[in-house]
Amino acid sequence: MSRTIEITILSAENLQENKKAIKGNTFVTVQCDGSNNELSTTKLDSGGGSYPTWNEKLVIDVPLHARFITIEVKYKTRGSSSSVGMARIPISDFIGGYVNENQLQFLSYRLWDNRVRRNGVVNISTKVKLSQQNSCSNSILSTVNGVPVTGIPVAGNGSTRVVTGIPAIWLNYQRNI
Amino acid sequence: MGNCCSDYAGARTAIGGTAGSLLNQTNDAVDNFFKSRGYQGLFSQIELSFSASGLRDRDVLSKSDPIMVLYAKGKNGALEEIGRTEVVLNSLNPTWITKQTLTYHFEVVQVLVFRVYDVDTQFHNADVKILKLEEQQFLGEATCALSEIITKSDGSLTLDLLRQDSIRSGDSQKCGKLKVHAEECVGSKTTVELILRCSDLEYRDLFSKSESPLIIECYNFNTNGKHDLLGKVQTSLVELEKLYSGGQGENLFLSASVGHDSQTKVLKSRLFVDKFSENIQYTFLDYLAGGFELNFMVAIDFTVRLCPVCLREHLWIPQNVIPEDAIQFYALTSSCLPASNGNSRLPDSLHYIDPSGRPNAYQRAIVEVGEVLQFYDSDKRFPTWGFGARPIDGPVSHCFNLNGSSNYCEVEGIQGIMMAYASALLNVSLAGPTLFGPVINNAALIASQSVANGGRKYFVLLIITDGVVTDLQETKDALVKASDLPLSILIVGVGGADFKEMEILDADKGDRLESSSGRVASRDIVQFVPFRDVQSRWGNFSSASTSSRITYSIFSLHAEQKYPAKSLVM
Repeated sequence: MSRTIEITILSAENLQENKKAIKGNTFVTVQCDGSNNELSTTKLDSGGGSYPTWNEKLVIDVPLHARFITIEVKYKTRGSSSSVGMARIPISDFIGGYVNENQLQFLSYRLWDNRVRRNGVVNISTKVKLSQQNSCSNSILSTVNGVPVTGIPVAGNGSTRVVTGIPAIWLNYQRNI
Repeated sequence: MGNCCSDYAGARTAIGGTAGSLLNQTNDAVDNFFKSRGYQGLFSQIELSFSASGLRDRDVLSKSDPIMVLYAKGKNGALEEIGRTEVVLNSLNPTWITKQTLTYHFEVVQVLVFRVYDVDTQFHNADVKILKLEEQQFLGEATCALSEIITKSDGSLTLDLLRQDSIRSGDSQKCGKLKVHAEECVGSKTTVELILRCSDLEYRDLFSKSESPLIIECYNFNTNGKHDLLGKVQTSLVELEKLYSGGQGENLFLSASVGHDSQTKVLKSRLFVDKFSENIQYTFLDYLAGGFELNFMVAIDFTVRLCPVCLREHLWIPQNVIPEDAIQFYALTSSCLPASNGNSRLPDSLHYIDPSGRPNAYQRAIVEVGEVLQFYDSDKRFPTWGFGARPIDGPVSHCFNLNGSSNYCEVEGIQGIMMAYASALLNVSLAGPTLFGPVINNAALIASQSVANGGRKYFVLLIITDGVVTDLQETKDALVKASDLPLSILIVGVGGADFKEMEILDADKGDRLESSSGRVASRDIVQFVPFRDVQSRWGNFSSASTSSRITYSIFSLHAEQKYPAKSLVM
């Protein structure tokens, strides 16, 4: 039970490492929670510096129960790679919003580094591949009285409440796994 | 490491190309720069041309010899002559050759008055500039706003020429028709796109000051903001075009001070023009000509504020007393600080409806913004909400239709807004708290439905509030979500509250709004204006900065090719 989402990793802005501009060799990984840790990776941008451009489309199967897609920008050094910043994107941001999910949407997200400090912005576009099954399930996502709500629905007893925001300490917790 | 920089983000961000970048790649900093600034320096110049039909025949032996005089009508009603056409001899249906050029100002209602005269035969050879109009036969007059002309799909407006009947006072007689055609001057929407390339740049640690005027400078970017000048070229657009045409480069130079003298050192480094392209930009007026409309929306604050002394609501507050002064004032009189809006029946309430007709702050804000925007909406039906009030026998509503209906939110014209507002004051109780999220979500929903239906509307939501917003994070979330939609928001603060948090929403200082999920706003859609600043200057809300924000918001939305202009301009 899943839907297919096309995520195009467009570019990033103002990437830094130790308060200095990243010189290059950056790439992006995309992972969806509940997808058995399946990782999608872009090519390397070697010349873009702190403003890299990838323009690479990744096709991801997202389980219906999934809540987040994690986008991480990394840079490659000799024989290893390090994290520049991470964005954890609620799936509700591009499903159930004002725009039909099968329509191309351009989104930008703040990146947070390992110390939970702001570190640039990543720009993406998303498009959901619709199927008959997806059409039925979309209607229950993230609306309160017909108005789209930013956040994650809270399960149980027909509640219309949603959780907004992401706990900051969760990022470090996820990092340590 | 960038090789160009600007004042974007305090000169700490490169906005040019980077080493090794391909020509077809874009730099997001550049994109953001242009999204937020637009093509600055472009001022819309409108060329008006005129023709008439069915003019009165004032001559006995021949037809009339008409001339048309164009006036601008000031706020005080005074007429300022802009220009005159030539005299067309012997014609009741003239087409004047002379055109008049005006500067278009979105932020004001530019009232134009057109007067047509029959020039007496004895003045046919006289210079029209010195022609005394009082010695000519008056044929008729017409009045309209410039925005009424430019919002027509064909750019033409036909007006009745009216003449006051001297016998029957108060009656106007139709004396023909005047057709006015508006066209934006090509020169005012032309830009030049350049791609520059350098060769053999020399890295220098020492910054060299220059005494000569600089047109193009090349720097080595440093993150500390202290950039190193590598070389410069003093040139002009014409010279750059020549360089491009000839495929040649021009040497950079540096100026150095030697004692009391200044020497110019020609460097080996060179500047090339890889691209020189003169382009016609789609302007705001092009979108209007393509059928694009601006739809005015209003949301009015019906809250009260708790007294900081006793934490209870009070009925009224003097309009000219700011909170800090009020605490001291009422402490001396052993009274508490009253609520902000207060009972609308009391004279010092911000919502007081003066029987003499003098508008309150809310009414004035509505009129001053609405009377400009109404011209850009063909049906003139405006969604209008209130927030923070308690309807009769109901809970507090943070978004209710001002017309009292439960089914639809639109009212007819600016007068409809005023009537709905006055009626609502009699039918709801002021309550609280102040929440912006629900009204922004409603406005965004309307905008999204318009997009889904292929509508050509851009919505402008006016929020008039007296207090500090309570749901700041929810408001940010709503704004970020709405930033992809054809919507701009103007927040007007009335009364004496501290509006510092409003300035957070107005991202003028460069920080883009972020939602609680980390999503960054696609563009800046909020403008905040405190009413007291406008009052003290006797100015308009629809200032140049406000109008530029709205028009640039349209550009930034369309710049992403979500709503390409080419599909609108036929």
